[in-house]
Amino acid sequence: MEKELLHGTLEVLILKTLSWGPMHGFGIGRWIEQLSGNELRIEEGSLYPALYRIEKKGWVEASWGVSDNQRRAKYYRLTTEGRRQLHKNADTWSNFAHAVARVLGAKQQPAS
Amino acid sequence: MSATPLWRRYLRFWGSDPGADVDDEFAFHVETRVDELVAQGFSPKAAREEALRGFGDIQQVKAICRTLAEERERTMQRTQWWADWRHDLRFALRQLIVSPVLTAVLMITIALGIGATVAIFSVLNAVLLRPLPWADSDRLVFVYETWRQFRQGSASVGHFHDWTEQGDVFEHTAALTRATFNLSDGEPERISGVRVTPGYFRALQIPPVLGAYFSEADVARDARLVVLGDGLWRRRFAGDPSIVGRTIRLNGQAHTVVGIAPPETNLTRLAPEVLAPLVFSPQQRANYGAHSFTVIAKLKAGVSRNAAQADMERVTRGIAQREPKNMEGRGVNVRSYSDVMFGDFRTPLYVVLGSVIFVLLIGCVNVANLLLARATTRRREIAIRSAIGGGRWRIVRQLLTESVVLALAGGIAGVGLAYLGIRLFVSFGPRTVPRLHNAGLQPEVLLFALGITLLTGLVFGLAPALRAARENLLMSLRDGSRSSLRASGRDTLRGVLVVGEIAVAVVLLVGAGLFIRSAWRLQQVPLGFDVRGVLSARLALPPERYAVDDSVADAYRRILEQTRAVPGIQRAGASTGIPLMGGGPDASVQIEGQPFSPGSAVSPAIRLITEDYVEAIGMVLVRGRAMTAADMAVGAPPVVVINERLASLAWPGEDPIGKRLSTWTREADKPEWREVVGVVGDVRSFGPDTPPRPELFLPYTQAPVMAWNAFQRSMAIVVRSADDPAVHASSLRAALRAIDSSLPLYDVATMREALGAEAAGTRFITGLLTLLAAAGLVLAAVGIYGVIAYFVTQRTPEIGLRLALGATPRSVLVMVVRHGAVLAVIGIAIGLIAALAATRAVATLLFEISATDPPTYAAGAAALFSIALLACAVPAFRAVRVSPMQSLAEP
Repeated sequence: MEKELLHGTLEVLILKTLSWGPMHGFGIGRWIEQLSGNELRIEEGSLYPALYRIEKKGWVEASWGVSDNQRRAKYYRLTTEGRRQLHKNADTWSNFAHAVARVLGAKQQPAS
Repeated sequence: MSATPLWRRYLRFWGSDPGADVDDEFAFHVETRVDELVAQGFSPKAAREEALRGFGDIQQVKAICRTLAEERERTMQRTQWWADWRHDLRFALRQLIVSPVLTAVLMITIALGIGATVAIFSVLNAVLLRPLPWADSDRLVFVYETWRQFRQGSASVGHFHDWTEQGDVFEHTAALTRATFNLSDGEPERISGVRVTPGYFRALQIPPVLGAYFSEADVARDARLVVLGDGLWRRRFAGDPSIVGRTIRLNGQAHTVVGIAPPETNLTRLAPEVLAPLVFSPQQRANYGAHSFTVIAKLKAGVSRNAAQADMERVTRGIAQREPKNMEGRGVNVRSYSDVMFGDFRTPLYVVLGSVIFVLLIGCVNVANLLLARATTRRREIAIRSAIGGGRWRIVRQLLTESVVLALAGGIAGVGLAYLGIRLFVSFGPRTVPRLHNAGLQPEVLLFALGITLLTGLVFGLAPALRAARENLLMSLRDGSRSSLRASGRDTLRGVLVVGEIAVAVVLLVGAGLFIRSAWRLQQVPLGFDVRGVLSARLALPPERYAVDDSVADAYRRILEQTRAVPGIQRAGASTGIPLMGGGPDASVQIEGQPFSPGSAVSPAIRLITEDYVEAIGMVLVRGRAMTAADMAVGAPPVVVINERLASLAWPGEDPIGKRLSTWTREADKPEWREVVGVVGDVRSFGPDTPPRPELFLPYTQAPVMAWNAFQRSMAIVVRSADDPAVHASSLRAALRAIDSSLPLYDVATMREALGAEAAGTRFITGLLTLLAAAGLVLAAVGIYGVIAYFVTQRTPEIGLRLALGATPRSVLVMVVRHGAVLAVIGIAIGLIAALAATRAVATLLFEISATDPPTYAAGAAALFSIALLACAVPAFRAVRVSPMQSLAEP
């Protein structure tokens, strides 16, 4: 898998992680890596612009809180609109992923 | 995650800082990662390098994030602003609907104020501000000959000719003179028109509706050409386009119609319906002594009025060197077109606009006072709003939105009222005001309405809004509604507002008072004749059929004979010029035994009169005798009647009876002596505000032919009757028909009507100002009533207690009234001082009364003071009737 993910894909992944609850940028990146079985390495240089983009779109909102290591951290939280976008894009994305998987897993040449 | 720590809130006290937020967030990320890596055994330095690697170019990433955050911030602010605004608007509308009676009162006040202001502005805009219909109209000027203190005299043909030929500053020049024509195709009609030189049309640059205008070349071939006014063309010829090229009979002669002129071709106040060529003979061009033409010119581009004045003075000096005899005391005056045409209306219109804005201001104060009163009942609501985080500015904005919404509602109704007002102005305004009929709701008027509406909303909304923002939050919340009303200094602001509106009302009252006094003075001026029971009507005999001077005099003699036979008519006479109905030519007079030079001689107005004229018009005979039938007989000795002004100029301190003078001789430099047989009292021929001029009266039978030409063979018939003179108009027409059925009678009016028309402008302004002052007075009374009534309501428990403890009703009455009287006195004092300054603007409009006239000021102050006391009395008596038990028991 390419390490650079398409913008839209990264955004969906962020929304998905946030669906479990508010988290700061560091945690979001870590979650995605863990969930993907460390297949996906999320570069900070992509993660943060993506966060700011979806914040601007109003899919997430941010507030300052204190992290587990007692540091001041910016926590992101899913908005209603964000939740809606997640459902919409997750479906699209998994349909697409299934389709790709079916093509790659094909055993037979299609009849022309 | 725990809640945002308090200190963080303070960091954001002055708004958010996206840059700092990005830095903080990235720092957290890096440090957390470094901790993690160090725990895994990295050296701190290597750990940091590793942590930063994921960011790539961290500065660039930060920049991207910062930009995104800032964009988001801006969008949010905008959204917030609109949301707030929509909320304010909804809330404001709800507030207005919740109290419909108050809203109605407020709206009516505002609508009336704005309506009146917009209507007046629309008139001012139409008369003064709207551009003139001609290209480069700012380059149009009048060129006048001056004589001594008379700055706007008519010009001689010689002057016009030399100004045109020798001047360097004009693109076009035109001479024009008033002319009237008998149009005899079909029903005979007297048509007012002008004779103009062809340059007139070139100066205007307005294309004809149909056909063409006449040029110098056309006129040289055939001078019997005519351009018809659009109005006459539609009225008389049903707008028939084939009229161009046809001939019509004017003054009994065939004239070819060359074109139809649109209404904009009227440059003067004459409103001509016929424009005929003005042609000068070589002899006329050499004439510098007869001054009877209006000269209009168009300056070359870039030439100032002052430069034109200088150039015309140069040319006129040349004339003076060639014609010293005619030029004594004479000069030249170049004035801009709009100054001459509209200058007289500038001050009155601005005075009226100023007054109406004053009334609007008083209305605003009343509205502000009502809003303040309502704000008190809303204090809890506002206190709660600010307690739950409504910023001061948010609350001010909310209240201002309410005011502006109110103002807009009032403004829209006001524009409707203005539309009606404008219609009234156009129908009933004085005819003398030029361009008044153009008044309407043009875009610039609507823009003015919008501006004044918003301003109004801010003006009356600001005081309540700022007051609300200053409210002591805790006090309002803790206190019950009633006790908090008693907080000290509560109605200082209301007091100040009322003092202000009283002051403005005083200025209005004094201003209107001055105009009323001035109009009254004007009415007291003796006119020198008797307007009661007099009817006048004019006719003109066409030169084609009344060529010989004897036939002219004979026609008038016969018409008068017919007229005198009408039952009910007591006296009938005729004169070439009668008071209030236009001037007449002047002529210099040579006095026997005194040196004579034409330039400096006395120049009285000359009238040709019949016997009985002096009696019919009701002039006063001071000495000697009036004209008799014997003076009119053929071969009678030459006589003259003069007025007192002429007597005192010609023979100061002497008895003029029997003295002799000469004027309008058949040959120049050859006096024909006439004996003065009578002196009549001075007549204010141009209305009560214009001082009388020297006049002399000749028997109409003794006039030379040139005199009849100067008067266009026209006389005004004057009849006096014991009953209403207006009924004799038809008998006059019948008498005329018996002599010549083709002659139209025109300018038929009673003297009273003529006087009314003359005074219409002044009366109109005076009426308007009086109305506005009355409105101001009523509004101020309402204002002071409101404050005192409020004062009484506030103090009801206190008053009840006082009465219960034995205070006399009288002392309570005094307490309440004193409160109002103090406000009134302060307001009146300020108003009187302001009036001293403000009425300077109207000083030039007043007749024989000073702008600082003490009785007027005293009357204004007294009127306001009495009204103020009256307004206090109502709530005061209510206070006295307060039942102690009831007032104390009130919650």
